[in-house]
Amino acid sequence: MSANRLSGLFVSLFGLALFFIVIPFDTEAVDYGWVRPATVPSAAAVVLTIAGAVLAIAPSGTTDLSRREFGRAGIYLALAASAVFLLQHLDFLIVAPAFALILMLLIGERRPLWLILGAGAGPGLIWFAATQLLGRPLP
Amino acid sequence: MVDLATILAGLGDAFSPINLLFVLGGVVLGQFVGALPGIGPVMAMAIAIPFTFVLDPLPAIAFLIGVNKGGLVGGAIPAVLINTPGTPDAAATALDGYPLSKRGKPLKATKMALYASVTGDTFSDIVLITVAAPLAVVALKTGPVEILALMIFAFSIIAGLVGDSIVKGVIATALGILCATIGLDPEHSTPRLYFGFFELYDGLPLAAVAIGMLVVAEILRRLAAMQGEMRPPLPRKDTQVAADRRVSLAEYWGCRFTMLRGAAIGTVLGALPGIGSTAAGFMSYAAAKQASKDPESFGKGNIHGIAATESANSAVVGANLIPLLTLGIPGSVSAALIISAFMIQGIQPGPLLFEQQGRLIYGLFGAMIMANLVNFWVGQLGLRFWVRVVRAPESIVFSTALLLCIVGVFMSTGGLFGVSIMLIAAAVGYVMHAFGYSVIIFIIAFFLGSRFELSLSQAMVILDGKPARLIEHPVALGLLLLALLSIYWLGVRAPRKQRQRNANG
Repeated sequence: MSANRLSGLFVSLFGLALFFIVIPFDTEAVDYGWVRPATVPSAAAVVLTIAGAVLAIAPSGTTDLSRREFGRAGIYLALAASAVFLLQHLDFLIVAPAFALILMLLIGERRPLWLILGAGAGPGLIWFAATQLLGRPLP
Repeated sequence: MVDLATILAGLGDAFSPINLLFVLGGVVLGQFVGALPGIGPVMAMAIAIPFTFVLDPLPAIAFLIGVNKGGLVGGAIPAVLINTPGTPDAAATALDGYPLSKRGKPLKATKMALYASVTGDTFSDIVLITVAAPLAVVALKTGPVEILALMIFAFSIIAGLVGDSIVKGVIATALGILCATIGLDPEHSTPRLYFGFFELYDGLPLAAVAIGMLVVAEILRRLAAMQGEMRPPLPRKDTQVAADRRVSLAEYWGCRFTMLRGAAIGTVLGALPGIGSTAAGFMSYAAAKQASKDPESFGKGNIHGIAATESANSAVVGANLIPLLTLGIPGSVSAALIISAFMIQGIQPGPLLFEQQGRLIYGLFGAMIMANLVNFWVGQLGLRFWVRVVRAPESIVFSTALLLCIVGVFMSTGGLFGVSIMLIAAAVGYVMHAFGYSVIIFIIAFFLGSRFELSLSQAMVILDGKPARLIEHPVALGLLLLALLSIYWLGVRAPRKQRQRNANG
C-alpha cells in the first residue's frame, strides 16, 4: 500500500474516531443555538473522514519518507523531550548546556571551539537575555 | 476614515528613537538569520514572538516586520554565494546569483539582490499604505455572512495553491480548524476537547503550535537529513576589481523595468492568499527572461535575473498585509505570525483596526518604510559580515535555535506544559510534511479557526439557520460560488490537464 493511501486511510479512521468517540465524549451537550460546541469539530471530523477516504481511493500528491530520517528525527525529538522533562527538576543552566552539547555531538560536531561555544556561550547568552534583560524567570 | 492627526501621530510614533532601535534590531537579526542556511525569517519571527511580549504593540510588531524584511535580504546571500538559499524565497535568486558569484562577482550579485529587494519592498509598502485604508472601509460594510464566505473562499484558494494535492490541502485545513476548536467554544463558552488538561481551556497556545510546527519540525527535518557531515568552509577570494564589487547607477537604472515588473508581480500575488513569495520570484524570473532581448544569458549570471526575483519576493511582504489588515485574513505564514503577534498583544486584526487602532496602524506603516531604509543601510554595511555568517556551523545554529524555542515558548505560556505542546506540534508537523500535508495551510486554518466558528455562528443567526437565505447576500453567495469554482479548477481540472500532459510525454 502506498504512503498516500496509508495516510488517507489513517486520516479517514481518525475522522471516524473523532466523530463517534472523541467529540461526543469530550464535548458538552448543549441543546440551543445554531452552532453548538460539537458542530464545528464534528464538521471537521466529517471532512477528514471523507477527504481521507478520497485520498485512500485516489492517491494524489507527493511524500518525502525515509525510515532512517524518521528514526533520526525521533532521536532528536526524544532528546528534546528528555531536556524538557529534566527542566522540571533541574536548573536551566545545568540542563541547557548538557542538551546543547549532546545535540552537537549527535549532529557530528567534533571541533572543541564550536562545542564550547555551542554548549557554553549559547545557553549562557539565552539565560542572560531572558532573566537579566527581559526579567523573566527560567526553569 | 482615519483623520490626519491620527496618521501624523502614528508616523511620529514610528520615527521615535526607541522604535527605530527595534526596527534596526529586527533588520539586523533578520539579515543575520537569513544569511544562515537553514534558519529563515519565518523561523526567526516565530522564535522572536515570545520575546516581544514585554514590548508595547508598535515596537513589537515593527521588530517582527524588521526581521521579516531583513530575512528576505539575508536569504539571498547564501543563495548567491553557495547556491543554498537561506530561505525558499531566494531559490530563484540562486539561478543567476550563483553563476555571477562563480564568475568572481559575489559582491555585485549580493548588492544587486539588496537593491532589488529594497526597491520591490518599498513599492509594495506604498501600495499597501495607499489601498489598505479604503479597502478597510469597504470591508467594514461586510457582515459575518460575507466574512464567513470570504474565509471559505480563502481556504479553498490556499488549499488548492499550497502543496501539490487539493485533497491534502483540505485535510490540513480541517485539521487546523479542528485544533482551533480545542478549549472554550465561542458561543456557549463550554469547554471541549481538553482531555482533562485545564491549561487547554484557552485553547492550544498559538506560540507553542506555531514554533513547534514551523521551527522545531523544520530543525528536526534538517537534523535528520544531515549524516554527520559538517558544511565545508566557504572559500574566500577577495580579488575582485572595484567595478565588480558594486552595482553602478547605470546597471541599477538598466534594471528598472525588470524590478518594477517584479514588484508588481510580487504585490499582486502577495495580496492573494496562499501564493507565496517563492512563486512570485519564479514567476517574475520567467517574465524577465521572456521580456529580455538576451534570454540565453539568464541562468549564466545576468543581474536582471537577480533583480527580477528579489524585487518580486520582497514585494510580497508588504502586499501580504493587505488582506491581513483589511479583512483579518493572513495570506501567508509570515502574515499568520504577525496576526498571532497582534492577538498576543490583545489586538484583533481586521477592518476595525483602522478605526480602533489607527495610530498603531500608521505607526506600523511608518515603521515599514523605515525598515526599508534600515534594510538598505544595514545591507550595505553588513554584507561583508553576513558573508562570514554563511559559514557558521549548523551544529551551533540548530542547538541554539532549539534552546531559543524552548525558552521562548516557556516564557510565552508560562510553563513547561506549553513546551510539551510545542514538541507534540513539532512531531505532528514533521509527519505531516513527510506525508505531503502542508503545514502552512494548517497554521493559517488554525489561526483563523476561532474567527471562522464565530462568523459561522453569527451568520447562522442572521440567516435564521436557512442556507436558502444566502440569496439575500449576493456577495457571500458569489464568494461561495468562487470557492466551489476554485476547488473544481485547482483540484479537478488542473490535475487532469497535468495527467494528460504527462501521458502525452
